[in-house]
Amino acid sequence: MKKRLCLLLASVLGVTPSLWATTITITDSDGKPLENAVVWLTPKETSAFANSRHYEMGQKDRTFTPHILPVPKGASVDFPNFDDILHHVYSFSDTKPFELKLYRDKPHAPIQFETTGVVELGCNIHDWMLGYIVVVDSPYFALTNKQGIAQLTLPAEDYQLAVWHERFADLNTPERLNWQSFDSETKLTYAIKQRLVDKFELLVDEFDDYE
Amino acid sequence: MNRHGKNVGSYITLFAALLTGSTAFSSYASVTWQGKIQVSTFERNEWKSWLNRGWSNNRFDAQIDSVVISRAWADVRVDLAQAWSLHSSMQYVPDPDDSLGFTEAYLKYNPLSNSPYQWQVKLGGFYPAMSLENPSVGWSSPYTYSFSGINAWLGEEIRTFGTEIEWSRLGKRLRSPHDFSVHVGLFKGNDPAGSMLAWRGLASHDRQSMFNESIYFNPVKALYERPLRFQAPFVAPFTEVDGRFGYYTGVHWDYQKRQQLRVYWYDNHGDPSAINFSTGQYAWDTRFLSVAWLYKLDKQTRIIAQWLDGKTSMGPRRGVDNNFSSWYALISHQMDAHRISARIERSWVVDHDDWAFDPNASENKALTLAYRFNLNEHWQTGIEWLRQDSHVVSRAAAGLAMDREESQWRYVLEYQF
Repeated sequence: MKKRLCLLLASVLGVTPSLWATTITITDSDGKPLENAVVWLTPKETSAFANSRHYEMGQKDRTFTPHILPVPKGASVDFPNFDDILHHVYSFSDTKPFELKLYRDKPHAPIQFETTGVVELGCNIHDWMLGYIVVVDSPYFALTNKQGIAQLTLPAEDYQLAVWHERFADLNTPERLNWQSFDSETKLTYAIKQRLVDKFELLVDEFDDYE
Repeated sequence: MNRHGKNVGSYITLFAALLTGSTAFSSYASVTWQGKIQVSTFERNEWKSWLNRGWSNNRFDAQIDSVVISRAWADVRVDLAQAWSLHSSMQYVPDPDDSLGFTEAYLKYNPLSNSPYQWQVKLGGFYPAMSLENPSVGWSSPYTYSFSGINAWLGEEIRTFGTEIEWSRLGKRLRSPHDFSVHVGLFKGNDPAGSMLAWRGLASHDRQSMFNESIYFNPVKALYERPLRFQAPFVAPFTEVDGRFGYYTGVHWDYQKRQQLRVYWYDNHGDPSAINFSTGQYAWDTRFLSVAWLYKLDKQTRIIAQWLDGKTSMGPRRGVDNNFSSWYALISHQMDAHRISARIERSWVVDHDDWAFDPNASENKALTLAYRFNLNEHWQTGIEWLRQDSHVVSRAAAGLAMDREESQWRYVLEYQF
């Protein structure tokens, strides 16, 4: 309550609430940095957040680019095709089932993701293509880099950290930490509890189209 | 090559043309295409090509213009409705006579499903997908201009006119790096396949046959002998003679697109005693095993190899009875817009029958070196050197040496659309 009063006071006085830089490092259970983990911090006092940003899940060189796209709930995503061949993108995931039938360039309308969860993407022409859209209930999210690090800037609040990775055995269940207060510059390291499944490393090129 | 009578290919051609025509203007169908125009110039070869009824294993000889559109081709895909699509490959080739036609035309049903186990069906005229050397538009090779002897022969005499059903296991849906698929084809209209092996042997080239084409043989003396009097001097490879169905089965394994293996057993189930007197075509009993393997060392470099081994025979008492075998190994390396490739290969036809007047034994050793350069998105140029050392026993009856060493430089300019 005290914190909310402070925020109220700050807004009455025309002072922007201070934002804190937060560094989150994700490792696997052996302590090795984990790249491409989606991390997000859900504030305890959830309020509506603006979704004006434009998101894109492209298809380039017969792969989804980016391979993993975290977006906030309600986001609209375009699916531009940068290849000179057709793609046929689909999802059977409960979070958002959809189908974008054969197209070049860009489908007319973006797809809106209203429900939180994981959306697994495929292409009906190129069976191997695999991509993920992770829809989160927060405006504070990021993907970890090669060093397993994600950096977020957020107002002081109580947050719950959630982590998702494509090598989780159950893709629909992220790992979550207890609520904690982020009211100063914070550095946090989280080691994934579960054993990760094997990594896929496809070596795709333009000659893999042969039917 | 000439057209002779009706065959399964002409019906498929008609079907493809009608379907393409009727859907091209339909608002429900989406039509997409890709194609190439290829211009070649080459070292003059005075020895006549088999295409001009000569003895050379080279496709190009002095009979053809020195700068020629060696092939122009297009793949057209028409999406008809949910899960149904029509695919066709058309080509123009100048040799031996200017001709235009289909090399493939089929309907495909590919339902979208959430299961890790998928299936699809093809119906029409198409290649069984047993090779890994020809993954580009119009079943062409992005590595060398001339195909290996194996794929040159498949392009010449093998085509499925019927149906193929494919079951596949999508590894990604089971969190597995291994994809598998099983392919079963049932077809008619490929009865004379094997004739070219008997009367020319295996040769490296890139002249694919169209649905309703016939290919003339070298002037083999035995073809004018009495026991072979009903055999025409050409093969119409895509004709039905005995009324029996042929089949093939194949298995594909794919490990993360790094390694691929395809194993096929093909049997046209021909009745060697059957003959169509009006077209002069026998049904050949042709069966073979094909094993193809592709390994990507990294994004730039790959190795492709294939081995083919089979038997073919014709005549009521199997007067022509041959075994054939061939292998190649190809390495290809790409650096930005440059690609260099080298292929070695060896092929044999072994004569097992007792018709001494008709020796079919042959052997071909070949080395192919190619360099290709992408000038931009549309234009590519390249150069190829093809060396073929052949030993063809039937040349002796024509007063020629059985052994011949041939090499040919070829310069190519291609426009892709």
